[in-house]
Amino acid sequence: MKEKIAEISQRTLEQLRSITDLRSLDDLRVKVLGKKGELTGILRSMGQVAAELRPQIGQWVNEARENIEQAIAESQDRISKLELEKRLEDEKLDVTLPVQARSEGSLHPMSLVLEKLFDIFTGMGFEAVEGPEVEFDHYNFELMNIPKNHPARDAQDTFYVDDNIVLRTHTSPVQARIMTTRKPPIRIVSFGRVYRADEADATHSPVFHQLEGLVIDENITMADLKGTLDTFATRLYGEGVTTRFRPSFFPFTEPSAEVDLTCAACRGKGCRVCKGTGWIEVLGSGMVNPKVLEMCGIDSTKYSGFAFGMGVERLSNLKYNVPDMRYLYENDIRFLKQFRG
Amino acid sequence: MKIPMRWLNEYTKIDLTPEEYARRMIMTGTAVEGWENTCSFTNVVVGKVLTCEMHPDSDHLHVCSVDVGASQPLQIVCGAPNVSAGKLVCCALEGAQLPGGVTIKKGKIRGVESCGMLCSGPELDVPDYVYPHCGNEGIILLNEDFAPGTPVQDVFGLGDDVIEYEILANRPDCLSVWGIARESAAVLNEHFVMPEISFTENGKGKFSDYAKVRVEDTENCPRYCARVITNVKIGPSPKWMKEYLYGAGVRSINNIVDITNFVMLETGHPMHAFDLSKVQGQTIIVRKAHDGEVLKTLDGKEHKLTQEMLVIADEAKATGLAGIMGGEESEIVSDTASVLFECAAFERGNNRVTARTLGIRTESSGRFEKGVCAATCMEALNRACMLVEMLGCGEIVPEAFDNYPAPLPEKVITASADRIRSRIGVDVPTEAMEDILLNLNIDTETDGDMLTCRPPVYRQDIEGEADLSEEVLRMYGYEHIASTLMTGVTMPGFRNEKQSFATDVKKCLVGMGYYEAQSFSFISPSWIDKLDLNADDNRLNLLKIRNPLGEDTSVMRTTLVPSMLNALALNMNRGNAAARLMEVSPVFLPKGEGELPEERQSLIIGMYGDKEDFYTLKQTVICMLARYGLTPDVKAGGDGYYHPGRKAELTLRGGNVLLGQMGEIHPVIAQKFELSGKAYIAEIDMVALKSCKLEVGAVKPLPKFPAVSRDLALVVGEDVPAGELMKCIEKAGGKLLEEITLFDVYRGERLGQNKKSLAFSLSFRSPDHTLTDTEISAAVDKVLSQTAKQYGANLR
Repeated sequence: MKEKIAEISQRTLEQLRSITDLRSLDDLRVKVLGKKGELTGILRSMGQVAAELRPQIGQWVNEARENIEQAIAESQDRISKLELEKRLEDEKLDVTLPVQARSEGSLHPMSLVLEKLFDIFTGMGFEAVEGPEVEFDHYNFELMNIPKNHPARDAQDTFYVDDNIVLRTHTSPVQARIMTTRKPPIRIVSFGRVYRADEADATHSPVFHQLEGLVIDENITMADLKGTLDTFATRLYGEGVTTRFRPSFFPFTEPSAEVDLTCAACRGKGCRVCKGTGWIEVLGSGMVNPKVLEMCGIDSTKYSGFAFGMGVERLSNLKYNVPDMRYLYENDIRFLKQFRG
Repeated sequence: MKIPMRWLNEYTKIDLTPEEYARRMIMTGTAVEGWENTCSFTNVVVGKVLTCEMHPDSDHLHVCSVDVGASQPLQIVCGAPNVSAGKLVCCALEGAQLPGGVTIKKGKIRGVESCGMLCSGPELDVPDYVYPHCGNEGIILLNEDFAPGTPVQDVFGLGDDVIEYEILANRPDCLSVWGIARESAAVLNEHFVMPEISFTENGKGKFSDYAKVRVEDTENCPRYCARVITNVKIGPSPKWMKEYLYGAGVRSINNIVDITNFVMLETGHPMHAFDLSKVQGQTIIVRKAHDGEVLKTLDGKEHKLTQEMLVIADEAKATGLAGIMGGEESEIVSDTASVLFECAAFERGNNRVTARTLGIRTESSGRFEKGVCAATCMEALNRACMLVEMLGCGEIVPEAFDNYPAPLPEKVITASADRIRSRIGVDVPTEAMEDILLNLNIDTETDGDMLTCRPPVYRQDIEGEADLSEEVLRMYGYEHIASTLMTGVTMPGFRNEKQSFATDVKKCLVGMGYYEAQSFSFISPSWIDKLDLNADDNRLNLLKIRNPLGEDTSVMRTTLVPSMLNALALNMNRGNAAARLMEVSPVFLPKGEGELPEERQSLIIGMYGDKEDFYTLKQTVICMLARYGLTPDVKAGGDGYYHPGRKAELTLRGGNVLLGQMGEIHPVIAQKFELSGKAYIAEIDMVALKSCKLEVGAVKPLPKFPAVSRDLALVVGEDVPAGELMKCIEKAGGKLLEEITLFDVYRGERLGQNKKSLAFSLSFRSPDHTLTDTEISAAVDKVLSQTAKQYGANLR
């Protein structure tokens, strides 16, 4: 009997070793340990065995059962691992298979720069304001110290709706509206579309966007203007980009300055983009003309201020090296797809 | 404005390279656009033709031997008919650079070696008014005796650097040689030396014996000065004058006309010369034109005048447009014997309006528009007389006419040195300020902090302390401005809700694959026509631009649709397979006459491509609105430019707020916009959207009891809109119905013709207990009975 039990035990353990799936494992378990299994059969047939031998046989069977059960449990672990490995192997993907590269679109390059400008200027305490694009001559010109038939109007070829209504030539009328309705301190950036009667070409567009800043407070100096614009330059184009002021003339500022930025392409060394000068002309600025303050009802002996204005398309074209202004208004998807954000 | 360096150097000293001079001027506020040399060739010398024989193999070419001052004469083949032995010519040597990028090389012409080229006027870019016989008849033949080998630029007086300035609107005084010389002197710390103006009045009689002047409108003509010149001898101007004029870009005509141009360039005062014999009644009248009066100007054009325009007239009629252009009849001609010189000041506004209205722009009108100083008219007129004497081209009649009823007052400006310093943010010492101002001829007295300044009469732009600040700063140097940030009250920086919302909407769409478009706000009215709107549609009420660049940009858009369709068409026609575009921009809705239009912010979404259809567009719109907590009512309908069966109106708040519309473009309209495939657009009113958008409020507690779901497939007629059926289910399902999802639409023979099966998944839940079968069955039964009643729905 002992031999028989040992043989079953021996054989089962051997079979277990070659089993590789859970189903065969279960079949084997039933075959050996099940109700009708071989080992169980031995216990069943105990009736035919001498009573004094029964405990001994019982012990042998139980030992064999424990051995087998433990082996089965071990096999189960082994097979589970194998099956998991197989499943993972089956689930293997070709990770190099191409997928749709981008599902996102993008803001317009001009908007991307405008967003950045908002971050920069709101961070410096400027409030963003807007005003109408179709505007009264009064706000667009008169309050900006550009009376009717003034030659300064030549610099801004104007679209007229009637004698008193124009398509604004700059965003300055927004400043005029703020100055005539608020009390200093004022710290605003006005932005939006402006219009000039220029034929569209590589560097001109009859429609473009401006961002203008205005600060009015006590003790505002031209050094504050420079500091503000230096901050803007560095934050938009990175460290090492600063400003250079040149004297200029604008009817609404006195003194006025044309402002160049360090050429971002060569960091001031001189290159094709800046025509070798290391500087790029980018914006106009100055101290608000006291006449403008007075016309807007602000006491020019108490308050002073500065203003600056820039073309957003120009900044955008410089930042992204856009060769032709017309690209910006064609909306060719092959152009727009080159931007992100 | 172009000025030759030599001319400037007559009145001050500029001993710098053009680069350095330009830099100094630019950094002190005078824009220099560039410079060029009047000589546009190199290596061209005077040659003497020694022999001239016919070319053995040509009937028009000559083979010449030319002495160019070298040890050996050169053999040169020349095709000009006027070449002959003994002539002095301009010979381009080997390696010479000629205008237009031509380089002279040794070569063979029909087998005969040629070592240079004999040049014509056009080949050297020298016009015949610089040197006679530079025309087209052949090569230049030099009259005077020049040694062979002399550089030709010396013969013609070329080789000067001409500086081109861009004068800003506030400095009309710099629109002249004297003005720039004065400014240069101040910048370079040199002296400006005015020429001493003197001449002898050698004519007979006095001014009033020859002419009368009557100024009827002193408001528009604040000063009128005139002189009479008799015994005029019209002829060419001297070489030096021609050279200066040529450098400044002015064509030499004859001595009298050249004097007026020369004086204008030198002093900034436009002048006019009348042939006195053609002035009716020898009377010059400065008056307003009569309505409808006709005048033929020097350029041969006839103009119909209006009563606002200032003219110069004689007793018979208008003979010139004041300060703009003279009339044809009183023009100086070769036999003109007596001349009246006019040097006047005309009011810039009136001048500008007249010039603009008539579409004339002359050197003279440009100057009057910018402002000509009345105080210095006589000085300029005297300079002209001096030149007449110098050129010996006439006799100056004693007495000048001068009508100057209201001389410009002397300006006295008081300023505080401290305030100037605080304005410019640069610590300029008061003494340095005084020096700078004096250097600019601004008479300045200092008393402690107080500056008392008297600007020179030609500096009409200096009106107050702010202007003085600029003068001080630009001369002291803008590079001294420090970089500081504002002190004072801290202010909150922010963008308002409208701005943030527009960006948010755009970014939401960017997340769904859209690219932002930017299109012009003005469009062609024909683009609106293409939409085939009803006659009473308010989008046909367009705000017109009075002076558009062209028809295509002549009205402000009342809808973004045409711009978007054009953008889609452009992409289709360029072979781009698909596009998703959007734009947020205002539309312009006119109000009354003289009022500003309403600028209403709108959103347009446009798309096309293989994977796009009505439903992908709808998905975009629904997802975008969901971001703002909104579920629109979508009903079939919309404008006529949409496909009649594929368009929808979007409303909010139970149909009370019109949000917009969307759909496929009608094929007929698509064709008009040259769309080669199907295009889809959605129009959303940003104002409505912003006013309806919901903020995220207080959160609801998470449900404690399980949801139970039931699937129902309902068979209904083909024309039953799914949206309405769902609304019916929602209502019938009552409070327990938490969510409805349509998961399948099926059509098949077994359902019968014109039938469809819509399969919904309904999810029920109660907040306070686990639902029983009975409760759910009751709710489902109600759904079934209501849908059967209202839409004839059967359970499949």
